Amino acid sequence: MAIEITRSGKRSLILETPVMNAAGAFGYGDVYRDIIKYEKLGAIITAPISYEARSAARGGRVVPLDSAVLLHTGLPNPGLNKVLRKYRSLWESLALPVIVHLIATTDEQVRKASARLDEEDCVDAIELGLRDDITWQEASRLVGSAVTKTDKPVLVRLPVSDAYEIADAVAGAGASTLVVAAPPRGTARDPQSGKLISGRIYGPVVKPIVLNMVGQIARRVDVPVVGAGGIHSPQDARDYLDAGAAAVQVDSVIWRSPKELEIIARDLGGYIVTRQTDAMPDEWHRGMGDTEQERQRRKNRRDA
Amino acid sequence: MKETRALIERIIEVNSAIQHLHLSFEGSPGRIKPGLSLLVGVADIAHPYLRESWWPVSIKDDFIVVERPAKERYEIGQVVNALGYIGKPYLFRRNLRNVLLVAHDTPPTPLLLTIPWLLGNKISVTLVLTGTARTYNTEHLDRRVEIIRGDEGFTWPDQVMNAGWADQVFVTTGGADENAAFRMVYDHFETLRASVQPNYLFGVFRPILPCGVGACGACWLASKRGAAMICTDGPAFDLTQMVR
Repeated sequence: MAIEITRSGKRSLILETPVMNAAGAFGYGDVYRDIIKYEKLGAIITAPISYEARSAARGGRVVPLDSAVLLHTGLPNPGLNKVLRKYRSLWESLALPVIVHLIATTDEQVRKASARLDEEDCVDAIELGLRDDITWQEASRLVGSAVTKTDKPVLVRLPVSDAYEIADAVAGAGASTLVVAAPPRGTARDPQSGKLISGRIYGPVVKPIVLNMVGQIARRVDVPVVGAGGIHSPQDARDYLDAGAAAVQVDSVIWRSPKELEIIARDLGGYIVTRQTDAMPDEWHRGMGDTEQERQRRKNRRDA
Repeated sequence: MKETRALIERIIEVNSAIQHLHLSFEGSPGRIKPGLSLLVGVADIAHPYLRESWWPVSIKDDFIVVERPAKERYEIGQVVNALGYIGKPYLFRRNLRNVLLVAHDTPPTPLLLTIPWLLGNKISVTLVLTGTARTYNTEHLDRRVEIIRGDEGFTWPDQVMNAGWADQVFVTTGGADENAAFRMVYDHFETLRASVQPNYLFGVFRPILPCGVGACGACWLASKRGAAMICTDGPAFDLTQMVR
């Protein structure tokens, strides 16, 4: 079933299933090819890419927390041109949309990168990642820089801080879709080094915070919203759709259990269809159909 | 790479610090070589959002034997979710005669699978244990391996001779900052030899792994040959190629 996750118009993006990976959780699309059936996904989003190469953060990068994990990578990548050279043929071979996550650094770099990506047939859309301490004025300017240089849809991933203000601004600047939100930042003490480390937090704990934001932003702006944060099960993903999201992005559960992304995609693919017709979702929900059939078989045996 | 499940068939308490788990697999996990580790998710034992590298130390009958700390609790018949082997095999030189293995502030577990392979190819092996690794009990290792216990720092008796005699050196270290630790290792070997040549001194990295397959970017490493992921391109990297 076709689902439009962008504003209608020339910059539109239509997915078969409202489920994608989140940027930074899936590499550049090459990592999980032997494990996940890509055709079940709506789209794939690349790891964050900047116009110029970036090196990794120094020191500790992973801090295990009680109900999450804190990650501080520094968004290392070899730069847009090298990534395109390496992964273009892979992306061309995929039968689903590829969305490049572009790190919004400076106006000039965003303009150059957007123009470069506009030339690439293997790229279907751009997701602009905004830094956490950005002002709504800067955010608006960066989105404007991107949309003036490409005809492809420009999704904007909002930071958790000041998300409402920034949502208004980037919607006005021409964002096709709002992705709510980037993993929130936190600070924790690294048990190995004893040092405090700031980074992004991944885990189920994130979901209630972002789910609330999705509901509020979906009511506030006239732009489709994609929910992202703490999704670890099909029910988590359904909650986002019920809150007003047009689609979802799945992050850290992929690392723990890659197949879960496909399971969520299969479930939501069915859920979207059954929700439209008020049909029961049993047959689409993982295991439920089998359980019901087994119950029926036992009942029949007892009756006989 | 394929998701598979491993069954713990036997648990051998080697000594008070380590235990060996004998694992059998649902399907074939592939051919094991020194340098590869088994990527597992053991949510009830370790962290629910992280994966672990389990280092094979030998192959017995049809079992892969992995070494784990004795304080961890496992049961016979326990099922472990695995994503197969990760990493690339250690690159040994041709015409190798002497290899130096060094563990500093961490057990030498990632280096141990090299021992049967090296000895089987008539290559002599010296294992140096420094820092907290000095307490590692080596009674279960092959008697042909020369064991040297150093001091609290990264020094040991006859280190100049060992460094000169070795054709290749593989070092694993503990500590929070592996990059800093391997910079120290490189600097130390520069004082032991006139120069450290490429393909001589390797650091065996062991970062914490959220994904273990190159998806999360947490183990990104810059080298003179370009960027690499420790989980997929490592664990061993030539320390002359590291960007300082």
